[in-house]
Amino acid sequence: MSWSVEPRDPRTQSEGVVAGYAHTARRWPSQPLVVRPHDTGELSGPAKLERRLPPSKADLAGRGANRALGQLIHLRARVVDEDGAPVPGALVEIWHCNSAGKYLHPNDSSDSPPDPNFHGNARLIAGDGGLVELRTIKPAAYAVPDTDGWWRPPHVHFSVWGRVWLSRLVTQMFFPGDPLNDHDAILNAVRDPEARARCIARLAPTARGPANALVYEYQLVVRGRKAALRMP
Amino acid sequence: MTRLAPTAEMTLGPFFPREFAQGANDLTVISGKRAEGEVIEITGRVTELDGKPLDNVVVEIWQADAKGRYDNPDFFGWGRAATDASGVYSFKTIRPGQVQGRAPHINFLILYSGLMRQLQTTMFFERIADPVLDLVKNRERLVAKREGAVYRFDLRLRGDGETPFFDD
Repeated sequence: MSWSVEPRDPRTQSEGVVAGYAHTARRWPSQPLVVRPHDTGELSGPAKLERRLPPSKADLAGRGANRALGQLIHLRARVVDEDGAPVPGALVEIWHCNSAGKYLHPNDSSDSPPDPNFHGNARLIAGDGGLVELRTIKPAAYAVPDTDGWWRPPHVHFSVWGRVWLSRLVTQMFFPGDPLNDHDAILNAVRDPEARARCIARLAPTARGPANALVYEYQLVVRGRKAALRMP
Repeated sequence: MTRLAPTAEMTLGPFFPREFAQGANDLTVISGKRAEGEVIEITGRVTELDGKPLDNVVVEIWQADAKGRYDNPDFFGWGRAATDASGVYSFKTIRPGQVQGRAPHINFLILYSGLMRQLQTTMFFERIADPVLDLVKNRERLVAKREGAVYRFDLRLRGDGETPFFDD
């Protein structure tokens, strides 16, 4: 199968330098990015990435005496390409903070407490239909250090591999109805309101979900589509 | 035909799990098999504006095997490393062969807190004619500096000596 990756639509993607997010102006290149033709190196990618990156179990919440604190949630994320075709076998990494807003990471210096029962990251392989499912707890909001009152709304980090090298997607998923969503510098760096709305998960009807867990559904669209057939 | 807009990319954040970044920076062995070719090390420092080194930057690479093939089942041409507190990453790999019409090269992808989109660049081994390298203004910055079996490839995200990046 051959794939093509078309240029990004700037309305649906963030600019490099974002107002209210100081790090972007120290790290995004000042020189214009160079447009290049795509070759095999860009339009191929590793098959069976789990040969290098082993998957984990699909449960961060634990059970019984080992249950993490917080609202139990069930994430149901689907990986599709730009044709809307599911990407079975896609590797998906997921990480988020605990129900007090603390990450399981040595660089998180906030004084929010760690939760000994919360292991904050998972690596999953999409099944048929491009679906990954994760049982976890809802992350909390937290204040960003050294800013003038910037609070991150509850969010979940995703790192996804798609069809080819250029399909790589790193993004964040937000929760519906959170008042902090309207003020977050990262979410609002996406200018198109519809593209922004697609970064917010949907709460599934509660009657259909597993016991005691709220189900959130989300779609991850990776770059790339089937290459058009060329007429001779 | 319908086309879905790709999901908006967002920053990796400062707390990318350390364990995710470990165990994937040696490309010379996969499933117990040793790849054919010349073993090399690639290392460099990732810095921001004013030259400050950056900790926990995720660097991913994708390359052809020693014969210039991307689909060799006995060579896994993908790897990942994260920088340490002094901004340094390193890979152990095989020197890639020449892919038809291209100089030997390795694609690099950089993910980090403060990068709202992934950054793409390419490392070359020599300053020779290449249809992509020829498009770049400061092309010597994409040519690694050789020190024995070690190739040094620093990544300056912004500022003096800024690495050229691609818009894919």
